[in-house]
Amino acid sequence: MEFLAWFGPVFEPWSMMLLLIGTIGGLILGATPGLSPTMAVALAIPFTFRMEPVHGLILLGALYTSTVAGGAVSAILLKIPGAPANIATTLDGHTMAARGEGRRALQLSFISSLIGGVIGVFLLIWLTPVLAQWALAFGPSQLFWLAIVGVTVIATLDSKSVVKGLLAGCVGMWLGTIGFDDIIGAQRFIFHPSLSGGIHIIPALIGLFAIPQVISMFAKGRTASDLQSAATPRDALSAQASGVLGAGLGWISSIGASFVEVFKYGRSLSIGTLVGSIVGLIPGVGGQIAGLVAYDQSRNFSKEREKFGTGHPEGIISAESANNAMVGPSLVPLLTLSIPGSPTAAVLLGGLIIHGIFPGPDIFTFHPNVVWPFINSMLLGQVLMCFFGIIIAGMVAKIVKVHHSTMAAVVLALALFGSYSVQLSMNDVFIMLCLGTGMYFLERWGYSAAPLVLGLILGPIAEGNFVEGATIAAAQNGVFEYFLRGTMNKVLIALALASIAYAVWISRRTQAHGGQS
Amino acid sequence: MTRWQHIIPPAVLTLVGLWVCYVSYTSEPAAAFLFPRIVATVFAVLAVWGLASAVLGDGSGNQGISAQMFRNMLPGIVVGAIYIFWAAKGLGFYTATALSTFVLVALYDPAPHNRLWTWGKRFAITAVFVAVMYLLFSVLLNVYTPKEKLF
Amino acid sequence: MKKLIAGAALALMALTGTAQADGHNYPDRPIMMMVSYGAGGATDFQARIVTMTAGNEDALGMPIAIINKPGAGGRVGWNWFATQAEADGYTLGAYNVPHFIAQSIKGGVDYSTDSFEPIANWGADPAVFVVAANSDMNSMADVIDFAKANPGKLTFSGAGLFVGHHIAALQLEKAAGVKLAYIPNKKGGAGAMKAVIAGDVMGGVNNLSDAFRAQAAGTVKILGVFDVARNDFLPDVPTMMEQGYDIDNASVNFRGVMVPKGTPQAVIDKLAATVPEMFKNGRVAGKMKAGGSPMHIMTREEVQAMWAKRQETLTTLLEGL
Repeated sequence: MEFLAWFGPVFEPWSMMLLLIGTIGGLILGATPGLSPTMAVALAIPFTFRMEPVHGLILLGALYTSTVAGGAVSAILLKIPGAPANIATTLDGHTMAARGEGRRALQLSFISSLIGGVIGVFLLIWLTPVLAQWALAFGPSQLFWLAIVGVTVIATLDSKSVVKGLLAGCVGMWLGTIGFDDIIGAQRFIFHPSLSGGIHIIPALIGLFAIPQVISMFAKGRTASDLQSAATPRDALSAQASGVLGAGLGWISSIGASFVEVFKYGRSLSIGTLVGSIVGLIPGVGGQIAGLVAYDQSRNFSKEREKFGTGHPEGIISAESANNAMVGPSLVPLLTLSIPGSPTAAVLLGGLIIHGIFPGPDIFTFHPNVVWPFINSMLLGQVLMCFFGIIIAGMVAKIVKVHHSTMAAVVLALALFGSYSVQLSMNDVFIMLCLGTGMYFLERWGYSAAPLVLGLILGPIAEGNFVEGATIAAAQNGVFEYFLRGTMNKVLIALALASIAYAVWISRRTQAHGGQS
Repeated sequence: MTRWQHIIPPAVLTLVGLWVCYVSYTSEPAAAFLFPRIVATVFAVLAVWGLASAVLGDGSGNQGISAQMFRNMLPGIVVGAIYIFWAAKGLGFYTATALSTFVLVALYDPAPHNRLWTWGKRFAITAVFVAVMYLLFSVLLNVYTPKEKLF
Repeated sequence: MKKLIAGAALALMALTGTAQADGHNYPDRPIMMMVSYGAGGATDFQARIVTMTAGNEDALGMPIAIINKPGAGGRVGWNWFATQAEADGYTLGAYNVPHFIAQSIKGGVDYSTDSFEPIANWGADPAVFVVAANSDMNSMADVIDFAKANPGKLTFSGAGLFVGHHIAALQLEKAAGVKLAYIPNKKGGAGAMKAVIAGDVMGGVNNLSDAFRAQAAGTVKILGVFDVARNDFLPDVPTMMEQGYDIDNASVNFRGVMVPKGTPQAVIDKLAATVPEMFKNGRVAGKMKAGGSPMHIMTREEVQAMWAKRQETLTTLLEGL
């Protein structure tokens, strides 16, 4: 309970102001395509140079929390996932928004972020010593098998057939090998000079999700919007309420309804939170795939499995609770072992070091006056994030009702800006457009972007850890011994096999089901 | 055409798969291509499988593209390509964005072309959007955009 | 319509395009600096500190923004810098010696020391040998004894192939006459350090600055410094030479600022005069010290000499590899 004693510094006026700036600024930055949490935190570090360490870290903590949640805004409204964490949110979130229920989707997303996030931070507060050992248990062989478990998820993720899902995953893995190989430095598949830097994940994400969207808007031609008259029951309710007071009441009742809905799907909420906090701990892998794995798992356990992908609340709840639940645990290896588990954590490490704070097992003894307020600011930041998020949701949700001519132009410009700003490179923009155009045509024939992106993320992780493990194994007892020994390896292999068996079983069942109808 | 359309994507993927296979099995140094070889092999096998099932008539998830859709999207794709491949860097981000937004809105907005207020509305949409982008990116965040003489 | 716009654009370019950078009004807009390692790494973190005062009137008067282009041990970033970066003085780059020189000797990249113009050096970070805090090894002699008894079985991590850590590893193998198993890590120095702490490998070569912090945190022991003299941060850790291994400072990681070849001479002169002074700022020194990062300021001429010398040593060392 030591953390309670350190709420004081967070409630000082200057700290509160930084917390507010961090939260609101983080929501805006997170909602801007291309400005991922990592970039937002890196942009803010120079501002913390002049501050007291504790104030600097309060700002960074609030920013980290709210950029992760803010990424859901563009994922839901524009179908542009701001960071890999938000991929799973687009699947149901954007579909729901496209139906005209953007506000509901955003409210669900912020509320589940809040719950997942708070639980994640409490894990950080209470279980840090235990969790640090867990994070260290993942060496090269375990990370390799973990990536393979992720690959098997591909088969069942958002695809119309297992072959198409796996094929898209393979394309993604191949795209991930383009560019310089990381160890030897050999050039691979650089068939055009633009590819010499490889395919960066953020431009790829923007292209694969946003551009098919833009092209399908073009394909509608000069038609009237199909959303103009389509009002949903709940939005219609608030529209009916006349006057400011009435509208306000409608708004408040809609928030209440969203809270009830989140708890109605308690199963998805707990799966998301659990998967997010466990996967988030694993250095180097966690943050990127937490959302997708949680989405997949909560579908496996759902009673309404077939509704996933059609704008189903469970999809949003599991994905968003997972990606905020990951925030707290992802800092465990950073704070106790000085091992940054994610790119954002690496930037935060820089922020700590600049102020002369070296993370390590003793950090809570030596620097309690900085670390506890930092953690508390993330706790408070979650609440502020949800509060302001819901206010913003009310203002921006109508964006989806904008006519598709304007929407296409806006999304195109944001896609250009987002993919450019990651490395200030036009090459990334060209890659973004080419991948996206290809993806549009693939999508029309039942291929899906989600498994492709998962392949793109997991391919390099699998390769890097396999190569590293194999080099270590070559100096020791041989590759088979190295990759097969140990409980953790066996558990992960069993998980991978179970996941494949499940995919086969599901596709058989769907075929049989399809045959009947 | 429409009947055979669904064979095109798996056929293209098969060609890419075979090419990737060829490159990864012939390039040096072999150590750097170990992983690509595994991926390429699985890629090619799945692509051939996908092609075979497409030829045999598996239509799962196929929506296809009608001739009308293709005619609709073509001008947009051309404008988008000019915008991204040339204008953004050649003219500068904000100028290019203003032009492309205006052209795209004019192309796809169903309002009649022969009324003055339609054009006023289109101009207003462009102006507001570019102004918001400029304020957010350039004034507030001070982040980089592709720059040339016309900012 | 389009013709008209293109025409107008051309006219405007002609009007403003003549304002070439001649050193007088340089810089008149913010400058960008490319770091070829990821955000949060040692190079990135130090680059952000040493450039933080660039906006001051007595420095450049314009802020420097850091942009990361990580990949393949720095090759992606330096390739981009040599072939695509604009040589107008508004695109600076951070160099790491011996990394980029060793990579250019090894081949397969589009740069060499001739592709870049050095401006100034800010830091020198020697490599050190680390083992996990709970390891049985307490000196370099223990390490080498184990390696002699088990040739090729001593696994130790480093940031990649043909970077400072790898050079140090090669020097150690040569000086001690043993066969070791060097495990390059694709996530760079941070990843290599994690492998040591988690026990994935038996030891590792890492940056002094990172190892100093890890030792302070109690997760590793530092057994030796790959430099000619002991370091101020670690006065108790002996050099390799003191422990009987003939190893010089060829692996010391020099970090500094450079511009692409073809940058106007006036701009280079202006930068070469201003940047070393900027590094001397007291706030910069304070932040570097707090982060455990050794500073070593060198002027353009000194860096040119250092590059030439490294080119020579590394060519000899990497021969026959």
